[in-house]
Amino acid sequence: MDKDFGYLIIINTESKHDYTNMAYALALSIKNTQKEGYKKVTLVIDDKSKLENITSPWVFDLVIEKKLPQGWDCRTYMDKLSPFEYTVCLDADMLFLEDYSHWIDHFIEKCDLYVPSKSYTYRGDVVTDNYYRRAFVENELPNLYSFFTFWKRDTQVVEDFFSLVRDITLYPDEFSNVYLNKYKPKIVGTDEAFALSAKILGIEDKISYDLEFPRVVHMKGNVQNWLTPTDLAFNMVGFYLNRKGNLKIGNYQQHDIVHYVDKDRINKEYVSILEDILWKS
Amino acid sequence: MNKGIIIFAQNSPKVDYALMAIVSGSLAKKNLGLPVSLITDTQTLKWLGTSGKKQLAEDVFDQIITIDKEEIFNERRLFDGDESEIIPFKNFNRSMAYDLSPYDKTLLIDSDYLVLSDKLNQYWDVDEDVLISQNCLDIYDDSRLGYLDKYVSDTGIHMYWATTVMFTKSDKAKIFFDYIDSIKENYASYSDIYRFHIKQYRNDISFSIAKHVIDGYITDQEYVLPPVLTVTDRDILHDVIDDKLVFLISDRSTADFFACSLSNTDIHIMNKQSIIRHADKLLEMANG
Repeated sequence: MDKDFGYLIIINTESKHDYTNMAYALALSIKNTQKEGYKKVTLVIDDKSKLENITSPWVFDLVIEKKLPQGWDCRTYMDKLSPFEYTVCLDADMLFLEDYSHWIDHFIEKCDLYVPSKSYTYRGDVVTDNYYRRAFVENELPNLYSFFTFWKRDTQVVEDFFSLVRDITLYPDEFSNVYLNKYKPKIVGTDEAFALSAKILGIEDKISYDLEFPRVVHMKGNVQNWLTPTDLAFNMVGFYLNRKGNLKIGNYQQHDIVHYVDKDRINKEYVSILEDILWKS
Repeated sequence: MNKGIIIFAQNSPKVDYALMAIVSGSLAKKNLGLPVSLITDTQTLKWLGTSGKKQLAEDVFDQIITIDKEEIFNERRLFDGDESEIIPFKNFNRSMAYDLSPYDKTLLIDSDYLVLSDKLNQYWDVDEDVLISQNCLDIYDDSRLGYLDKYVSDTGIHMYWATTVMFTKSDKAKIFFDYIDSIKENYASYSDIYRFHIKQYRNDISFSIAKHVIDGYITDQEYVLPPVLTVTDRDILHDVIDDKLVFLISDRSTADFFACSLSNTDIHIMNKQSIIRHADKLLEMANG
C-alpha cells in the first residue's frame, strides 16, 4: 500500500497493570496477521525505558515518549500524536487474530473519521446489554466505542471532533452538568467523551454508521448475555491461545479483534507464543 | 438425486408417536409433494397393526424402515394445557438418520412438526451438506422462551433445533451424523466441555455441538433452515377447521388462554396429546 497508514497505541505506564506488555502483545499480533503496508505500529508511551524489558521492541516502528500532566488522558490527543496520514488508534488490551487489511482500504477511501457503534460477545452476538452504558442510554448518547478509531489527518471533522473531546475531558463536570444530567457517570471516559462530542457536533451518523467492521469482541463480563452476572468474563470462560496464535474463548473460535479487558490476561507465555510466530514467519 | 422426508416414531406407553408420524407425514407429503418414510421399531409397527392404522401408514409412507427397539428411554414432564404427567420417550436413534434414509437428499422432521406450507422446498438447492434451524420462535412472543431455548448452557454455544434437519448424502454429512453418535456415546464428557445439564439426552444439544464443531467452533447464522415456529405444550390445539389450526394459547402472566388461528405456516406442536386428539381432522386436511 502506498498510503501512509498505521496503528497507534497510547499507554501510560503509571498503572498497576503492565500496559507495556499489553501494547507489545497487540503489536506482535498486528505484525503476525496484517499484510505488508498495513502493519506499521507507533507506540506513545510516557516512559520509554519500560521498553527495555521486552524482547523485540522493533515491533514498534516508532516510539514517541510523551509525558502529559497527571490525570490527563493521552488518548484524547490521538489525532495530534499520530505520525500517520491515516491512523487507527487502538486500546492496548486487544489482540488481532486475522488479516483485516482490506477494511483499511475501505476506511481510507470512504471515511475522514470512523468510530464503531457495535461490539460483539465471544459467541459472535452483537452486544445489547447496557449494563456499562447507562449514561449513554439515559442521556441518549450515540453508542460509540473508542477502542478502534480511524481518522484522516488534517480534515475539518477530525479537528472539530477531537478539539471538543479534549474540552470535554478537561472540563468533565461542566459538560456533565449540562449534557449528562439524566445520569452522570462516575468518570467521563473516552467513550463518553467521544459520544458527547459527536452528539454536540451532530455528526453521529457521519462518523458512525453501520458497518460489518470492525468486529471487536468485548470481554466485559456483564455484556456476554450470561445468566450469571460477573464483571470478570474469564472467571466464566477459558482463554486458550495455541502455538499457531489461534484463540478460543470458551467453546468459540475467535476470528475478530478481541478486546480482552482483563489487564492481567496476557502473561509471558502468551507473549512468547506471539513472539515465536513472528520470529518464525 | 432423489429427495424425501423421514420421520422417526417410537411409541411410548403414553404417547402414540406412530399416529403423530402418520399425521405429520401426510401433511408433509401433501404440502412438499415428496415421498415420506417412517423409521420405527418393531413394537411400534406391531401397534400400528393392533390399532388398525397399518394400512393407513402403508398408504402414507413411501417406506417403513424398522429398527431395533430402544431399551433405554428418557423421561420428561409433558403438559397438555394445564395438566401434565411424566412421560417416557425414546430419542437415541436420531444419529442413524444418515444411514437409514433411503434418499440422497433428506428432510428429517419431528413427528410433532406439521408441514402446512411448501416453504421448506426452497432449501433443497442450498449448497450445504447439512442444514438445521438455528432458532425457535414461540407463536406468542419471545417472552415465553427460556435462556436454554437459545443456548445449551449459561456460557455454552447457541442452540440449534433438530426439529427440522436437511442433509445430503456426502462425506461431510456422514461425518456430521457419526459425530452426533460420538457425542451421544460420550454425553457426560461433552456436558463438561459445553457446560450443559446432563439430566436427559437431548438431540438438539448433540446436533448443536456437531454443527458448532464442524463449522469451526463458530455459530453459522447464514446457512440455516428457517426458525421453528412453536406452540408449547401449555398451549392446546383446539380445533382444525378447513385449512386452519385453532389454538388456545396460554398466557402465563394471567393464567388465561386466548385463541389464535394459523394456516399455510409450518408449526411445531409440543402438546402431543392435542395432535392425537385431532388426528382425524388433520388427516382430513392432508387429504383435502
